[in-house]
Amino acid sequence: MRKNLALAVCLFAVFAMLALSGCGSKEEVMEEPIMEPSDAEDVGSLTGDDIPLADVSDDTVYIEPASSVFADIYFEFDRYNIRPQDEAILQRIANWLQENDQVRVMIEGHCDERGTNEYNMALGEQRALAARRYLVNLGVASARLGTVSYGEEQPLDPRSTEDAWSKNRRAHFVVSE
Amino acid sequence: MQAHRLHRPLRATLVVTCALLLFAVSAGAQVHLNVSKAFGQKVIVAVPLFEVEGGTIVDPSAVRDVLEFDLGHSGFFSIVENREFVDETETDDRISGRIAFQEWSALGAEILVKGTIGGDLSEVYVEATVYDLAQGKAIFGRRYVGERELWRDAVHSISDDIVFKLTGETGIAKTKIAFTSTVTGFKEVYVMDYDGENRRRVTRQEAIAVSPDWFPGGQEIVYTLLLPNRHECRRATLDGQGSRISAFPGLNDFASPSPRGDEIVLALSKDGNTEVYRLRADGSDPRRLTFGRSTESSPCWSPDGRRIAFVSDRSGVPQIYVMSSSGGTARRVTLQGNYNTSPDWSPKGDLIVYVSRVSGVFQVCTVDVETGEVTRLTSGAGQKEDPSWARDGRHVVYSVKQGGKTDLYMIDIYELEPVRLTSGAGDYQSPAWSD
Repeated sequence: MRKNLALAVCLFAVFAMLALSGCGSKEEVMEEPIMEPSDAEDVGSLTGDDIPLADVSDDTVYIEPASSVFADIYFEFDRYNIRPQDEAILQRIANWLQENDQVRVMIEGHCDERGTNEYNMALGEQRALAARRYLVNLGVASARLGTVSYGEEQPLDPRSTEDAWSKNRRAHFVVSE
Repeated sequence: MQAHRLHRPLRATLVVTCALLLFAVSAGAQVHLNVSKAFGQKVIVAVPLFEVEGGTIVDPSAVRDVLEFDLGHSGFFSIVENREFVDETETDDRISGRIAFQEWSALGAEILVKGTIGGDLSEVYVEATVYDLAQGKAIFGRRYVGERELWRDAVHSISDDIVFKLTGETGIAKTKIAFTSTVTGFKEVYVMDYDGENRRRVTRQEAIAVSPDWFPGGQEIVYTLLLPNRHECRRATLDGQGSRISAFPGLNDFASPSPRGDEIVLALSKDGNTEVYRLRADGSDPRRLTFGRSTESSPCWSPDGRRIAFVSDRSGVPQIYVMSSSGGTARRVTLQGNYNTSPDWSPKGDLIVYVSRVSGVFQVCTVDVETGEVTRLTSGAGQKEDPSWARDGRHVVYSVKQGGKTDLYMIDIYELEPVRLTSGAGDYQSPAWSD
């Protein structure tokens, strides 16, 4: 959980910087930036202050932070087809990527330990490619979507249990820039 | 005295300066001795302790251990068991100054290998003379000279000489095995002698290196390096000099050099799906060999370079297929089981060794490419993976994961008794046998 939180904070910071520097979407950007750089030229010295909730006007449009959009999707044992319950995640990712058209995403494909090392390297790639294909079909430019397989080399949970295996059979999205 | 001179393998391959036959008996003609024995019967060989000249340069019992391991695992010889009698007979021979052929035969031996080691701290020589006990005469002799630390290579060479002289077959004692190990905390490529000795690291990438394979000649390795966000197919000499072959988007994996070493086949996914491609060994001129929406991976060449075996899940589950090395229609060769991966084609051309999931456990099997006949080589609980043929088409090396640790084993496909090759900390995976 702590790791996820850290990731969320990181991704949110990246997004906020993108939005502030004008790389992100235009109209949808919050009217009152939460964080104001003290020097617009120097994004390395960001300062932030809490703003009273009352100051946030009702018509502020919130943009979902990337961390809540780029959730892992999971796969059945030995399979690489997209599960129906993960389609909503991919739809949200596609929407987000269309709003943030400068962002590139690396899709990591992972496997549980039960296949052969060798075949799992191919299976991991097929999982990443399946997610990529799905996003391309939803209109995301294929050039923005890279794939990389880790086979069974980087399990999220190293234990040999059904629960660990199901967590390890995943496609993971890394927002690169 | 002129002799075969050994050089450090890193610097140069074995350079034969001059062939020396200590005995001019049947020079040139091969002696195919007793190998017309019934299948499974072996020639019994006695290996007394080598004589030491000029001080104890190398432990003579270590020399004997290596030679006995080599001959005993060649598939053609068994070793006279009672070393006590062997050493007594050798002592008698030395006292009398002659070879008591009848005494040796009485121990059950058919072949006798007598040897000498000597030299100094910088250079060592190992020589051996092989006798046919039934005929009471020497068959041939060999002498190797080289740097002291190469004494194992010298003994392996003598073993391969004996196998070749007596059977006409090519031995495996001088071959090497490449593999990956996690002993440093990263996954790097290493090589070792086929008997597990002389382990040394090839890559220093401090990343994840997978799927090593050999270029012909045993001097260069191809492997895949997993870097953040990309896979690179790379080649490296044994002293670690490396270069990139390919780094297309996605997979650059399971590379297998052609029998001539001028091309490789591998799996790429740059065109949106995992498929088999063939390219020049420098990475140029990639040609796609398979097409479709299924997964095509893990290609390897037939020994004549005319066909390629690979894995495809076009039937719904991974199976082994064979096609022309220029692509085209593929024929499925594994018809049993629902998970068959990691093919390697025998240097003899007839069999493909692969991993098959049998009752939930990965086992090493062979399938006859023409008849489809399947033979299971391994059994038991450990997960076996990544089988690779020795050049004799008789031995296979593979990994076994058991109790959370992975080690390498070899097996003779006619005897089916696994021999463990690695031990100690870390995992040892993905073995590949040199030619």
